[in-house]
Amino acid sequence: MIPNTTLFASLLIASVVLFTWNCYRRYALVSIGQAEDRSQQLGRRFRDMFVYALAQTRVVKGSFGINHAFIFWSFLMLLVANVEFLISGFVPALFSRFLPESVHHVLLLVFDLVSLLALVCVVLAVVRRLFFAPAYLETSYSSARSREAFLILSFIAVLMLAYFGLHGAQIAMGREAAGFWLPVSGVFAKALAASPFNSSLEAMAAGFWWIHALVLLAFMNYLPYSKHMHILTAIPNCFFASLEKPNTQPREAFERGNTYGVESVKDFTWKDLFDSFSCTECGRCQNACPAHTTDKPLNPRQVIHDIKVNLLKNGPRLQAGDTSAEKMVGEGYGRILPEAIWACTTCGACLQACPVMIEHMPKIVKLRRHLVQMEAEFPEELLNLFENMEQRSNPWGIAPGERTKWTSTMDVKTFEAGKTEYLLYVGCAGAFDSRQKHVTVALATILDVAGVSWGILGKEEKCCGDSLRRLGNEFVFDRMAKDNVALLKEKGVTKIITQCPHCFTTLKNDYRQYGLELEVIHHSEFLQGLLSSGTLRLNRQVSDLGALVFHDSCYLGRHNDVYEAPRLVLAAATGSVPGELERNRDNSFCCGAGGGRMWMEEHEGSRINLNRVKEAISSKPGTICVSCPYCLTMFEDGLKDLQVGNTKVRDIAEVVAEGMRP
Amino acid sequence: MLVVACIKQVPDTTQVQIDPVTNTLVREGIPFIVNPYDTHALEESLRLKDKFGFRVVAMSMGPPNAEATLRKAMAAGVDEAILLSDRVFGGADTLATSNVLSAAITRLNKTEPVGIVFCGKQTIDGDTAQVGPGIATRLGFTQLTLVDRIINLDLSRKVIRVRRKLEGRHEIVEAPLPVMITVVRELNRPRYPKVPMRLESANSEVKVWNNEVLKLDVNKIGLKGSPTWVSRIFSPEREKGEIIGDGINDPVGTAHLLVDKLRSKDLLAL
Amino acid sequence: MTEKKLTIKKPRGKARVLEGKCIACGARCESSCPVNAVEMNEAGEPTIIENKCIGCVKCVKICPAQAIEMFFTAEEQKLLDELMKAGESDDSVDEEADTLAKLLSAYRGVWVFVEQTEGEVAKVSWELLGKGRELAAALGTELSAIVVGHNVGELCQESFHYGADKAFLVDAPVFRYYRTEAYLKAVCYLIDLYKPEIILMGATGLGRDLAGAVATVVGTGLTADCTGLGVDDKRNLMQTRPAFGGNIMATIMCDKFRPQMATVRPHVMHMPERKGIASGEIIRVSCPVIEGDILTKVLEVIKDNNGMEHVDVAGAEFIVSGGRGMMGKDNFKLLQELAHELGGVVGASRSAVDAGWMSHERQVGQTGKTVRPKIYIACGISGAIQHLVGMQDSDLIIAINRDKDAPIFEVAHYGIVGDLFQVVPALTQRVRDMKQAE
Repeated sequence: MIPNTTLFASLLIASVVLFTWNCYRRYALVSIGQAEDRSQQLGRRFRDMFVYALAQTRVVKGSFGINHAFIFWSFLMLLVANVEFLISGFVPALFSRFLPESVHHVLLLVFDLVSLLALVCVVLAVVRRLFFAPAYLETSYSSARSREAFLILSFIAVLMLAYFGLHGAQIAMGREAAGFWLPVSGVFAKALAASPFNSSLEAMAAGFWWIHALVLLAFMNYLPYSKHMHILTAIPNCFFASLEKPNTQPREAFERGNTYGVESVKDFTWKDLFDSFSCTECGRCQNACPAHTTDKPLNPRQVIHDIKVNLLKNGPRLQAGDTSAEKMVGEGYGRILPEAIWACTTCGACLQACPVMIEHMPKIVKLRRHLVQMEAEFPEELLNLFENMEQRSNPWGIAPGERTKWTSTMDVKTFEAGKTEYLLYVGCAGAFDSRQKHVTVALATILDVAGVSWGILGKEEKCCGDSLRRLGNEFVFDRMAKDNVALLKEKGVTKIITQCPHCFTTLKNDYRQYGLELEVIHHSEFLQGLLSSGTLRLNRQVSDLGALVFHDSCYLGRHNDVYEAPRLVLAAATGSVPGELERNRDNSFCCGAGGGRMWMEEHEGSRINLNRVKEAISSKPGTICVSCPYCLTMFEDGLKDLQVGNTKVRDIAEVVAEGMRP
Repeated sequence: MLVVACIKQVPDTTQVQIDPVTNTLVREGIPFIVNPYDTHALEESLRLKDKFGFRVVAMSMGPPNAEATLRKAMAAGVDEAILLSDRVFGGADTLATSNVLSAAITRLNKTEPVGIVFCGKQTIDGDTAQVGPGIATRLGFTQLTLVDRIINLDLSRKVIRVRRKLEGRHEIVEAPLPVMITVVRELNRPRYPKVPMRLESANSEVKVWNNEVLKLDVNKIGLKGSPTWVSRIFSPEREKGEIIGDGINDPVGTAHLLVDKLRSKDLLAL
Repeated sequence: MTEKKLTIKKPRGKARVLEGKCIACGARCESSCPVNAVEMNEAGEPTIIENKCIGCVKCVKICPAQAIEMFFTAEEQKLLDELMKAGESDDSVDEEADTLAKLLSAYRGVWVFVEQTEGEVAKVSWELLGKGRELAAALGTELSAIVVGHNVGELCQESFHYGADKAFLVDAPVFRYYRTEAYLKAVCYLIDLYKPEIILMGATGLGRDLAGAVATVVGTGLTADCTGLGVDDKRNLMQTRPAFGGNIMATIMCDKFRPQMATVRPHVMHMPERKGIASGEIIRVSCPVIEGDILTKVLEVIKDNNGMEHVDVAGAEFIVSGGRGMMGKDNFKLLQELAHELGGVVGASRSAVDAGWMSHERQVGQTGKTVRPKIYIACGISGAIQHLVGMQDSDLIIAINRDKDAPIFEVAHYGIVGDLFQVVPALTQRVRDMKQAE
């Protein structure tokens, strides 16, 4: 059949122009952002795009994700059908004319079945949103039952139904030669033929054609205005995803005249802005976020949304050259509350949860950088931390001379290139915190027993600066990093063992930006190596700690993908695999101390550590095992606060040391 | 009107330790910091600048490397920084120090009247609390020590009203300008320097005034002008921690033991 | 006096710095050198330029840390030994010292400033009378009390009970409240008239305010916050005090000026017994200070815990702090009672604040207040590092905890291992009883 070609042509041209214009406007808005090179390693980028976008690997991990995957894959296939459809407005029966019959028939069958699949998935999606909506779909600006969601779902449903209607009418009229290959449309054909309207099949076919055409064009033009922009942006967003570990924020150039961090939306990079147009509002980041889960004002999804709103609001003014744009942080629509910015533990759960690879947490750090460095505005408690770091190179402001106090009970060498192989980077907690000092001593004892050649920097060691960087005090971090890198180079260090995942990631990932490439090993990996190679033999199997569960530290696990080593260490020490918490590995839940939260008060909502401790003790373990000084503190505090039972908290090194007792 | 903040570079005394073997001061690697009390003096000057638009001058007497301290003041936002440095100023006790500082303030006063001089309550290396009063007395400024709140500054009447923090009591005091105020930590929370200001301050000029500028009698400054001198230093007796009595089986008796111990050492004044 | 001069010139030697002994006192040696032979490095340590040094020994004498010594070459040493054998004695008579001694001898007597606020005497003043008594005895001179105020005549009599021989009384309405200008004039007037050799004041807010001003006007030396006092054989006051945050002790001299002034830390000197019967001479001095000359007005004196709007943990002298071991909000009453008896305030650890037992303004530690009281009593606080950094500089730390391995005992001066619910009430009762007994 041939519709009114002129009318259709004008509608099509108008829609395409409008759509293109809207896409261009958004592109122009994104290009307000600062430059950022995301073109390196194209091979990896194509792979990421395939894995995350096309293969939907992260989407299907979530509940109901498979439904989305089916709609997405259907959509991809029907894209071909719909292009043919639009062209058929001018050149009818494109496929049947130009494709070999067999191919054409297979295509028809596929389109027909896939359309049915899509329709079913859409219905399921509606049912889910109506009756089984998970809580995380709700935010301040959107809900499970939002009009937008239902509009889009009904668009898709109508498209499918119109497709079946059109083909059904054609079959009923005997105009579809390949009717056999359209089983679902065949059912519609039978229904239409049996219906009271069987005399006006011609008009119905035309009607379905026009409905299909109009809904398709409307759908297309609705995209840029809605969260369904992600249909256009998600795939490129996965392509441009960060290849670096996400916690490694870029350096800043400290020169006169520069500004630091993000003040207004224009200070974000283009990729940050592109992220905001890629959000699918699935709510998974919000669900994973420890701050949001414990009722803090932070919601990573809201942060991304606020950036988008702010961009749409201020973008036109910025484009016109007016630089006095509204600040990102503050009160009001499209702005982010400072309390939200400071609630982030930088645990990276949001990044891990996002199916389209949006980078939430680095944006928060950028906002912090501005607040700290340009406004000097931050929670009161941090002043102490910042000054202690600068003056005494440790967060508590303890005299650096006390860094070696823990060595009083044993003979510890100072690192000397050529004479000692490994540097044990003790870390501030390991050197000053009376509880963590036990871990240090345990680890040092193990190293000695295993015959490892190791030494320490002693009083020359300084804090790695992790908290400073995550808190946005890049200026002081930069100084400390330079000092530390110079010191490590001067000492000729090539291999470092850390007992803190924060030191670990900072030395390994952050310092690489300062030209320091060396082997950094977390003690869990190192102990595992010693145990599996047989270098370290235990005297006994550890059994007096009861049942063990292991808690993944964010900076060891999610940020550095070390999941197995600590588990293997515990298994080797106790002879049985440690128990798992409900949220484990890359889905682990933060202890609450990362991102500088260790040094801040937690006034709002419930406490993150209590949330995690309750989860940990639900299986009534004898001991909760950790691999991070922050986690150790947070768990011990949490257990004391809850005043429950005799559950102990031990670092994995302490468990191993237990096994070395005769 | 000019506001002067007197600040001092001091060694970070929390890091000073005595070598248990040689019984000497271990000073290696001990950084110099701005005397913590002075940071509050500086902050209060800057708050008045923010509120009233006064010009703020930070001043310090010390060796040439004390310039770093003044740069920190510049990063915090003072308009001018002056380092009083000369080898004839060296070795000064509080009397000689206040002589140099007050002479420099007098010099400033010639071009623009100085309304308020802020000092920290004391320094953490000397702990004397004497330089502030010394400056006030020499300048003839009203002396308001241990101020923990500025209640009101009435510019039309040229009167300042403050609260002073003393043992077990506070005093509300009013005095006409000019005044010399020493501040306690409770007065304010010092601002954290913004990065652009830090970078800027690295390039700003710190004026250096030596005795050719101040032209003071060399017998009244530095070592020669100092009536007091240190004849000996030694390490204090360290009290080791002591567990008292048997608190588990005899809590009351142990409590009595503790109180008696405190009383015998005059630690409890009842 | 007219012995033959030796033809050999006595070698003077050169000064040299002893490694590791310099305390970077502030370039005293550099300043003392008449020929600019001492140069200071960045760390504030001296280097002696050998060819400039004339061996005058000034830097050696001035160094408080004995970090500079004289050295002689082997030849010089030989010469010296020969001279020694020849019975050469250092007979140069120090005329300067003689005139100085004459000048200083015009000053006699030990004074103690009796600090009072609205007629109430600061206890440190009586402590100082006790110490002053010892000093006066050693010097063979009189001990006088200086009483300044309005309607404070009876304090003179009281000072006799604590050991004063004499009391100078300046009593006028203008001295009702302490104001630096008025008291400064009064004290300087007295010094001018009666020339004491030693003046002691309490190292209190008032004492240090006044002493600093007086010493400047009089142009003499003042040593702050002394913890030890004594006299040497030349009637000089040896004033010992902590420096560098208490990490070292220094003995300070003021041997060329009089009067020698010192402020003395309260609770350090022994409180003398109050004598039942005592008398002395009261010298009333009327001092030419008139109200019109005094620009400062004291508008109000507010007693703490009385009208102060919020608790000042950071500035408190006694703090009784509770932690998780308090078990509940109501139990903090126990601490409140003890704090009340001591005249202090209640603090809390982060966990006690988090639990909602205490308000955040009372929190001591990394994310709360940093405190430095005279006595800090930690009850049921395990001593996590976050807490320790907020209170470890307290003058005296007392820990009460059930767990003998709690880290708090590592920083405590006195510890009680036991149940705080038994120990704290017993402490409160003991303190209360002792107060009543007085």
